[in-house]
Amino acid sequence: MISKRILVLILCTGIFITGCTQVRPWERGYLAREEMLWDADALERQLNDHIFFSKEASSGGSSAAGGGCGCN
Amino acid sequence: MKRKPSRGLIALSTTALALPGISSADAPPTENTLSYKISNYKEDDLSREQVPFGELGRYDIDVHQFQYVAPVGRNFSVSVDANYENMSGASPWFSTANADGEPVINMSGASGIRDRRSELSIGARYYMENGNFGGYVGYSEEDDYRSSYIGVSGEIGFNNDLTRFSYGFSHAADDIFPTDAELFNRVRNEDKQSTSAAVGLSQVINQFSVFQTAFSVTEQSGFLTDPYKLQDSRPDNKTQLVLSNSYRHFFVGPDAALHADYRLYHDDFGITSHTVDLAWYQNLGRDYQIVPNLRYYTQSAADFYTNIDDFLKPLSEHQSSDYRLSAFGAISGGIHFIADLGDWTATLTAERYIANDKYSGFEVTQPSPALVRFVRVSIGIDYSF
Repeated sequence: MISKRILVLILCTGIFITGCTQVRPWERGYLAREEMLWDADALERQLNDHIFFSKEASSGGSSAAGGGCGCN
Repeated sequence: MKRKPSRGLIALSTTALALPGISSADAPPTENTLSYKISNYKEDDLSREQVPFGELGRYDIDVHQFQYVAPVGRNFSVSVDANYENMSGASPWFSTANADGEPVINMSGASGIRDRRSELSIGARYYMENGNFGGYVGYSEEDDYRSSYIGVSGEIGFNNDLTRFSYGFSHAADDIFPTDAELFNRVRNEDKQSTSAAVGLSQVINQFSVFQTAFSVTEQSGFLTDPYKLQDSRPDNKTQLVLSNSYRHFFVGPDAALHADYRLYHDDFGITSHTVDLAWYQNLGRDYQIVPNLRYYTQSAADFYTNIDDFLKPLSEHQSSDYRLSAFGAISGGIHFIADLGDWTATLTAERYIANDKYSGFEVTQPSPALVRFVRVSIGIDYSF
């Protein structure tokens, strides 16, 4: 059962990837803009992760990483 | 917003045509960047209804962040991050019932808490033709807490570099040694370990949009209880699962970019959460940018959460009145102003966060009276040379 699910997931991913437009290198100017970064401001992202980690039960899922803290 | 020539040059001239829309480009930064940000974080006071006796004030924290990123040769970059926090205030100590049977909060010590946190981390990254690989080590210290951590991560591009596979692995070892341990019968010295693994896939959808999905697993073991709560006992193992999705779309007409992020979280304390984050990066001419953002967060309660501590229950049975383990929702919004002044970039940020059980997307059977509200203001400066 699990292997079937994995197969479906791989097929869906393949269809999604191949279904996307073939963007030529010279057509990637907008994607190269600074405001299109996953993390446009690294320090801002680190600070937010630290605050939300301290005030909510959830954490993770971000590219920023760091150690724990005794934050209350 | 003015484009820095180096960014455009990277985008148009590298053979791999690395996509900044996909976390790290396949070329090291072309110039040194020195960044500094100072922030003040202040929580609203609680009311006398919520806290019948003692302190009403909560945390007030100043945060200083420094970062230096430098290219080394043609294929390497190094980074150094240093953070310093100075905090004072009080936090919920235990919860009891008032005359009406409603939960009320008792705050920690009449004189409040004072603490400092210093952190230093160093990273390096190697850039290949169609990917990159790097790592970091770090250390942070407080008066009552120490953390050492290490991590590695990388990316590989394929499908004409329209698709990228990313991976990461990290480990943290923490020591906990509460202050006034003898006076309040707290634990003296405990430890905690956290290990994470993550994989992700990014895809260029068209010339205006990119999408990323990532999955991570974190295993925590050791002392996961809050030593400063009077009646707090938690399991000593926790598994956290996170599925995160990000979408970026550039709008040519208004010269702006939409950032949309969604995170699904679940752990075996019984907590599930949803986080939605939206931001609009609006360019104003060549030199200025304004970024409003809105975030919604909601979580279910931990299996052992209680909003009134049961002091007759032995600590061998798990329970906690920590508001962070209750069911609630939170709405936050902020605005950022960014000015590009040649080699200098200045950023001003203001943010407001309000948590409330009424905002919860999950059923709330035991609302916490200690949910937090805060204001955060930051000023940041970057200098490239």
